[in-house]
Formats: sequence, C-alpha cells, structure tokens
Amino acid sequence: MRDIDKPMKTYNKIALSALGVVVFLLAWEAVARSGVVPARLLPSPSAVPAAFLAEFKSGTWQAMVLASLSHYLVGLSLGTFLGVSFGTAAALWGKWDAFQAWVVRMLRPIPAIAWIPFAIIWFGVSEGAASFLIALTVFWINYYASYAAVRGVDKDLIELGYAFGQGGLIPRLFKIILPGALPGILSGLRAGLGQGWMTVVAAELFGISGLGMRMMEASGLLATHIVVLYMVTIALLYGVSDFLFMQVQSRVLSWQR
Amino acid sequence: MAAVTLSKTATASVIDLEDVSIGYGKDAPPVLVDVNLSVERGSFVAIVGPSGVGKSTLLRVVAGLHTARSGGVTIHQDQRPGHRPVGLVFQDSRLLPWRRVIRNVEFGLEGLPVSRDERRHRAEAALKLVRLDGYARRWPYELSGGQRQRIGIARAMAVDPDILLMDEPFGALDAITRHNLQDELRRIHQETGKTVLFVTHDLEEAVHLADRIIVLGGTPARVVRDVRNSAGRDGAVFRDQVEQLRSEIADNYSI
Repeated sequence: MRDIDKPMKTYNKIALSALGVVVFLLAWEAVARSGVVPARLLPSPSAVPAAFLAEFKSGTWQAMVLASLSHYLVGLSLGTFLGVSFGTAAALWGKWDAFQAWVVRMLRPIPAIAWIPFAIIWFGVSEGAASFLIALTVFWINYYASYAAVRGVDKDLIELGYAFGQGGLIPRLFKIILPGALPGILSGLRAGLGQGWMTVVAAELFGISGLGMRMMEASGLLATHIVVLYMVTIALLYGVSDFLFMQVQSRVLSWQR
Repeated sequence: MAAVTLSKTATASVIDLEDVSIGYGKDAPPVLVDVNLSVERGSFVAIVGPSGVGKSTLLRVVAGLHTARSGGVTIHQDQRPGHRPVGLVFQDSRLLPWRRVIRNVEFGLEGLPVSRDERRHRAEAALKLVRLDGYARRWPYELSGGQRQRIGIARAMAVDPDILLMDEPFGALDAITRHNLQDELRRIHQETGKTVLFVTHDLEEAVHLADRIIVLGGTPARVVRDVRNSAGRDGAVFRDQVEQLRSEIADNYSI
C-alpha cells in the first residue's frame, strides 16, 4: 500500500535503473568468462570497447553509422510524409477512404522485409533499396496513426471553425484538424522512429553498406564482439533519436496539461 | 432549403425569421415550424422552452451552422468593414487548446480584411471587455470554467458581430460563477449596445437578463409566447414573471 501512496523519488529511480544495467553486464561478463559458453558464441561485454577502438581507428564505424543514418533519414522522412498525408486524406474524405480501403487491407499485412526482392529488382543493391524498405515500414505506422488522430479530432472544434468563418478546407485543415490531431500524429512519428531503426538492420543484411551489413560480415568471421558492438551502436542511435524526439515533442505540445 | 441571407439595407431589426421551419433528416418530422421573429437592434432577446424543443437548433440556423427546411432567415448586416454578422458563444466554451488565450480571441478575426496589428488590438480590447486582460498569454487549460466562458464571449465580441448568439453559455457553471457572469453580460450589453439572442432553459436567467422573452413549446415546436420583460433581478415582479412563464411552458408541454 505505501508504495502506491508514495511515488519513488527520481534519483532513487535513476539509481535503480543504473544498478540494473550494471548487474546485467556483470552477470553477462561472468557467464562469458566462466567458460560455460564458448567465447565465440558469447563474447564478453568487456571485449566491446576494444572492438570499438579498432573499428573507430580504421574509420569503419563512422562510415557505417553515416551510411545507415542516411538510409534512415531518407526513408524516415519519406515514409512519414507520405504516411501522414495519405492517412490524413483517408480520414478527411470518405469517398477516398472507401476507394483505397481494400487496397490498404491487402498491402498492409505484407512486412517490409517481404518487399526485399522487389526492392533489389527496382533499386538494385543500393542506398535507394534500403531507404525504400524503411520508408515502407514507417509509412504504415504513420498512415494508421494519422488516420485515427484525424478521425478523433473533436467535431465541436470543427463546428467552431465554421461558426467563425474558418470552415474552408485550408483554414479547417491547418487551424483545427492538424493541430487537433498533432498529439496522435506525433505518437505515430515516434513509433516510426523506432521501427525505422529495426528495418535499417534488416534492409542492410543483404549487402547494402551500413550497420547491418557490417554485422553480417562480422558474424561470418565469427567476430561476435564486433556484432555486439554494432548492436549496442543501434541501441544508442535509437536511444538518442527517441530522446531528441521527446524533447521536440514536449515543446510542440506544451499546450497540453 | 433556406440558407441565411445577408442584407445590407439598414433596418430597425438585426435578424428577421419568416415562416422558418427546421428539421433534421429528409423525412423526419420538423422540430420547429412557423417561426416568425424579428430581433430589434440593441435588444436582448432570450429564447426559453423545455429541453429538446429546438432552441439551440434555432440558434444554429441563425449562425449558419444548420440550414432551415423552409422560410427566410435574413441578417441585416451593418456596412462597416472587418466584422462578422454573428458571434457565437457555446455552452462548452470551445477554446482551441493549442492556442494561447489571445490567439483564441483572435480566431474569428483571421480571414477578415484586418491587419495583424488591428487584430491584436481588437483581441486585447475584447479581453479587457471581459476583464481578463491579464490572461492573454495563458493556455486554456490554466483557466477556470468561468474564465473560459469569458474568453468565449471575448472571442465572439472581437469580431464585432451584428448579433451575439449565446447557446446556454452559463449552463455548465456553478451558481456563483453563473450569477457573476450574468451581471457581466448585462454590463457588456449595456456598454456595447450589442444585440443579443440568448438561449436558455433557466427562466430566472431569462427574466433577469432579457428585455424580451420568446417561449417555444409544443410538438412540433412553435413560438407560443412573446413577452416584453422589464422585471429585473429581484422582487415580486421578477417572481411573478418567472411563475407566469413557468405555467406558460407547462401548458404547452406535451411529450
């Protein structure tokens, strides 16, 4: 009972989270060093900093991060823009919604990786193919998030627009519907941000330069500590992008209680 | 189908409703029939009647949010530029939560041929009118229910309307706040001389505020009484007026 009444203090929370990470790493290190599992199968976390230094000195790490980042940013912006646009349009116009409803139902369940053959046929093993796959993943997330968000805009506020001469499409869209749908659209954006990183790796596994490709190379050589290094890199990149996004979001939505 | 006609001829009345009949849906029976009503410039007219009788619907027709099935709705618009024919105040205040107070008040001025400076200036004047000039930079969520209603009134007054339409604006407020806002509205009406069409189911409120009271009743509803009122707030005259209206409504109440 007293735990519910008394919220945990912030520094206690942070300290506990840090302790969790330390215990996790120590346990991992212990298992790796004990020899229970062969070192090739489970690299010890203490091998990762050395791997990082080696990759960093040769410039591979930077090159891979930059390559992935560029696929990610292109795919993410394209997928987000198109997803929000199509989702909003479908929510706004019933006829358009009905027209595309079954096309959406047929295309939606196909995961982005299933498009890899076509991505290669259309774009070759190229940057474009990776960006295409990321855009596809991000598109659906934003499509549905925007659709629901626009549908959920308070009808009374739209009526308010009509009552005060702001009922035309442009003022209605930009002064009422999009600001009203913004919280929902932004949570779609955030989900897309995470899914985008997951697709980056999948898209690069078939040889497009980037983090995913480097992981495949390293695993082929059983250099598992390098695989772990890039796993950690992706986790950090995701963490940073999510953190930055939350900073922007809390500013943009400062009107919310 | 009869939409609102805007006329620029100067008349003693601000709005004229002629044989207006209102309904929802094509084949559904009408809600309101044979409504004939002229609202004089500068007057304060209250529309009362039991809930569901179509008071708000009638107001929505005048605001142009709903189209009458038949009949004529004319708003005699003043010649002055940069204003809207109607300013609407809702029961639920309906502020845009993502706009600060001042930008909410400016909302109706956007799209009018009014410069940015003048828009800001008029919004500030409207805030002053409702005595919330210190609240320009606040977010709506920081305001109390009564303050939100004041901002709603300021937003409607900022467009300098020919007629102020109010749809049970104080219905959701606590008794003390409602009382204060009624007095404020009376003051605003006296200071500005604005024509007001005010929908309420609260007879005391109608008798307290309006100089003319329209009673709607029956199925389909029509105007059953049209009373001049100068009873004011208290005393025997006030109570008599309220009682008379109450029995009037009861006589025409059939559900």
